[in-house]
Amino acid sequence: MLNVDPVLALLSRALDAAALRQSVHATNIANVDTEGYKRLEVVYSAELQRLNAEGPALDTEQALQWSQIEPEVVESAETRVRLDTEMAQMAENAVRYQALLGAIDRTLGTLRYAARDGREG
Amino acid sequence: MGMFGILDISSAGMDVQQARLEAAASNIANARTTGENGAVYKPLTVVVRSAIAQEMGAAGTPIDTANLPLPTAEVVTQDVAPKLVYDPGHPDADERGMVSLPGVDPVSSMLDLISISRGYEANLRAFDITRSLLQRTLDLGKNR
Repeated sequence: MLNVDPVLALLSRALDAAALRQSVHATNIANVDTEGYKRLEVVYSAELQRLNAEGPALDTEQALQWSQIEPEVVESAETRVRLDTEMAQMAENAVRYQALLGAIDRTLGTLRYAARDGREG
Repeated sequence: MGMFGILDISSAGMDVQQARLEAAASNIANARTTGENGAVYKPLTVVVRSAIAQEMGAAGTPIDTANLPLPTAEVVTQDVAPKLVYDPGHPDADERGMVSLPGVDPVSSMLDLISISRGYEANLRAFDITRSLLQRTLDLGKNR
């Protein structure tokens, strides 16, 4: 990624993760009757846990480091797919996705405001 | 897989439920179908498979995110013994007066219909949610 605003970098990575979650829930629902299928889930790697232990990202460099971490899809410990649980989680994820969209929209708005020297319109 | 791929996953899920519905409907419709010389309708069932399900291992095994498993349905006939009913006047009765009826279990077919409709609805709902998220993503940056 180019020299991007760290906030935007973090938000877009989070949006990617929410989109991945959406596709994993859709996959679980589609495979509810598949023989031998085991439920999938999205997890973050040990890398994030290491960064987490260091505390929250406060400076630009840490934020950009955080935004490099990619979520993984793994087989879940709960192997059975339950339709209602899956739907509830998907609905929750959709709300999170829209919240992220709103945050990205506002960040872009701030950048646009700065690019216009603070003039409206 | 991008956001548009998610719609393919839910479509595949709906196709599977559609195949199950056709099999169940065919079984119910043919519950009393008879044939000459004891030939009989064989109940249908659907086998749902996905490419990755065969290789699935222990919990925590990572899966390629670009290649999430899509289910495919295959309709197969079940080898169920026919039900013999005594009906000597029936044109398809054998010399002992027995008629072979398909080994369809109407109760389990009706139960299948309920699970099919729930499965189809869930996939449709997932499709809808994804579509509205896509729509909102396209609207990003429109407020100026």
